[in-house]
Amino acid sequence: MVAGDQSQPVDCLVLGGGPGGYVAAVRAAQCGRSVTLVEGDRLGGVCLNEGCIPGKALMEVAGLRSRVAGMAAAGLGGAAPPVDLTAFQAWKRSLVARLAGEIEELLHGSGVRVVRGWARFAGRTRVGVRTGEESTQYFDFKDVVIATGSRPAPLPSLPFDGDRVCDPGQALDWTDLPTSMVVFGGDPVGLELASAFTLLGSDVALVDPGDRLIPAMDADLSRAAAEAARQAGVRLLLRSRPRGMDGATVVIDTPDGELRLPAARIVVSAGRLPRLDDLDLAAARIRPPVDRFEVDDRLRVERHVFAVGDVTAGPQLAHRASAQGRVAGEVLGGRASAMDAVVVPEVVFAQPPLASAGLTAEGARAGGLEVAVAHVPFGVLGRGLISGAERGWARVVYELDTGRLLGAHVAGGAAGELIAAAVVAIEMGATLEDLALIVQAHPTFAEAISGAAEAGLGRPLHTVSGGSRATL
Amino acid sequence: MRTEFRLPDIGEGLAEAEVIRWLVGPGERVAEDQPVVELQTDKAAVELPSPAAGVLVEQLAAEGDTVRVGAVLFALDMGPAAADAGAHARGFAALPQASPAVRRLARELGVDLAAVRGSGPHGRVLETDVRAAAEAAAAPRPAVVPTPAAVARPADPDEERQPLRGVRRQMADNMALSARTIPHVTGLHEMDATALGELWSRLRARAERFPIDVLLVRIAALALRQHPIFNASLDEAAGEVVYHRRINVGVAVSTPQGLVVPVVRDADRIDLRGLAAELDRLVAAARSGRIALADITGGTFTVTNSGGWNGWFGTSLIHHPEVAIMGVGRIQERAVVRGGQLVVRPIMPVAITFDHRIIDGEAGMLFAQTIRELVEGPEGLFL
Repeated sequence: MVAGDQSQPVDCLVLGGGPGGYVAAVRAAQCGRSVTLVEGDRLGGVCLNEGCIPGKALMEVAGLRSRVAGMAAAGLGGAAPPVDLTAFQAWKRSLVARLAGEIEELLHGSGVRVVRGWARFAGRTRVGVRTGEESTQYFDFKDVVIATGSRPAPLPSLPFDGDRVCDPGQALDWTDLPTSMVVFGGDPVGLELASAFTLLGSDVALVDPGDRLIPAMDADLSRAAAEAARQAGVRLLLRSRPRGMDGATVVIDTPDGELRLPAARIVVSAGRLPRLDDLDLAAARIRPPVDRFEVDDRLRVERHVFAVGDVTAGPQLAHRASAQGRVAGEVLGGRASAMDAVVVPEVVFAQPPLASAGLTAEGARAGGLEVAVAHVPFGVLGRGLISGAERGWARVVYELDTGRLLGAHVAGGAAGELIAAAVVAIEMGATLEDLALIVQAHPTFAEAISGAAEAGLGRPLHTVSGGSRATL
Repeated sequence: MRTEFRLPDIGEGLAEAEVIRWLVGPGERVAEDQPVVELQTDKAAVELPSPAAGVLVEQLAAEGDTVRVGAVLFALDMGPAAADAGAHARGFAALPQASPAVRRLARELGVDLAAVRGSGPHGRVLETDVRAAAEAAAAPRPAVVPTPAAVARPADPDEERQPLRGVRRQMADNMALSARTIPHVTGLHEMDATALGELWSRLRARAERFPIDVLLVRIAALALRQHPIFNASLDEAAGEVVYHRRINVGVAVSTPQGLVVPVVRDADRIDLRGLAAELDRLVAAARSGRIALADITGGTFTVTNSGGWNGWFGTSLIHHPEVAIMGVGRIQERAVVRGGQLVVRPIMPVAITFDHRIIDGEAGMLFAQTIRELVEGPEGLFL
């Protein structure tokens, strides 16, 4: 027997320890399977190490700083506190380390074996894991979950160099604040970075080839985002593309002609590519997808091959990956689970924060549904004024006939938290009447949801038709 | 995204279907509602429409295979390239009104939520509804037919055996269920069909095809409006009488395959011309053996007309889970007494059979009285 052919039989093999993979592993183990998880980098994946968590940590600091600066009229200081990104990095690392430790403990406590190294298929049911320069361990699996995630897509005109041209994850590692910065990409990630660095004091331009920011969301959320970005001092360049760099400046094609902007740093957020090319899918006779895997509602690619997270078609969101991981783990454990969540919410952690769940009015009408929208501006809520969110709003989209809630969209305030109330309501099949009858605490942003429902039912208590308003 | 589609619960207690012919091949694009496969059920040949737009990636049954309800039939790729944005919204709205935990329970118990009638507000499907549906599905089907093993004995040259299948098997099951569970009571009523006969001949002169069944369905539908207990069902599991808001009248049709009962939906809301056209379509479809499942399910009351034969009264078995049936015999001239004089009048025999568990004798007579008023004073059909 050739040494390299020695392999260990394993039951379930999970490739990748991000929010999709580790959840799949833990849940499959909880359901009685024996699970081995392979991770070549850090547990927690992009989300924990270079995406959601560090990004939101930076936004927390940036948002607080701008809020303090805006509270002079309320008797608080008045100047924006100085920013020390070196200290921020230490704080961020401690947060990440703590969360990574919890994942490790969870895996360990669930009996999941973690193998460190990079995986590659070596046969129909075999994976080789390169655990060192010279050593490869082979595993023969019964079922495999591909959860290898994604990497940032490059722009040909601005190749990443990790220093001046960075991907979003690298930007969150900076220890000094760039004086000038150009962000390419008006997707949620690009918008969040542009928003955070502007509030921290950088001079930021945000460039996107499309007509509007965050095009996947409600058009009014796009407008709210653009308005707030401009007001905060972001130079917004839509219908514009990078041509390349020229010394200290970056050259951009805009509808008004060529523009040169100074850019100490450049961030490219041009989407993410699935990490499948290094896996040698052909060795396992798994047909490589054109783009990403099309999975069924049990997350299967084939009978014994599952895929979750960014390697599957659909929105690339950590919470979607985890939900898929939960289902895949349960299917592996023999349960009759399926991905049947009606909505996967999306939150943009910019200033103001934006959140969406379910259908937009346009999307619903495109599907032939008769819907209406009920809207409450935060300016009529006590909490909205106190929290400086009077320009924000919440709206619900509902089916005219049944009153059933189909979508919710929030700009500003505690959008990311408030959307949870709508997600629960939509999943439970709640109607406008249900929402209107539920008592929410005062003064909170949650009053906007019941308020919108009452407005939709024609008995508004927060707004009066005709323009005059009663403020609660 | 690959999504598997299972043979839906096609109602009428049907448990399986035979794949006759695939209408869409692997790799072919299919639109929402486009027929994908032709199936032969116990009851009829049906074309199963695609629940979504996409590309058919796999057929999971061969032509000639028998597929059980709930088994995977085909897989569609509904990737973003395959489906339009509108389909997302439509899929969204078509979701059953049920909480995530109830949806999971339904999956675990193998219950198709779309086929469960929710007892909660606005038809919301509750945990108890799913459990009841699972129990109903698990209940043994009435064994009215010997198993093949029992039949396996030396052939007797004096008899010929034919397997009880398809529509005939369905009829056997439904009739046995009806006779076993429903205490039937029948009232017999002779009605004067003079005015109805005149109206019918006038209508026939104006319309190419106008069977008397059109008038009988109309009469029944209007009477059902006044007597909602006749347009009801008994939900034994829940211990509740279910009043149906829609009046869907089934019409028994004899076909080469056996008895089929196509259903005229909202029979009380269609005018006579529309009713005639709909009946014409349904009867033709039933006789061809290619009637859509939607056309033979959801009935709330049945009319059976044996007037084409030389019978007098007949009693009928109720079409479970309905609670009543109206049987009409041949209109024949009879000698009757009117004002002390013996006169000749066309007489229509009508048998009203009802479920005595929820309808008492008085309600039965009042319903028959309404029928009589409409038969003897058919101007009521236009009011």
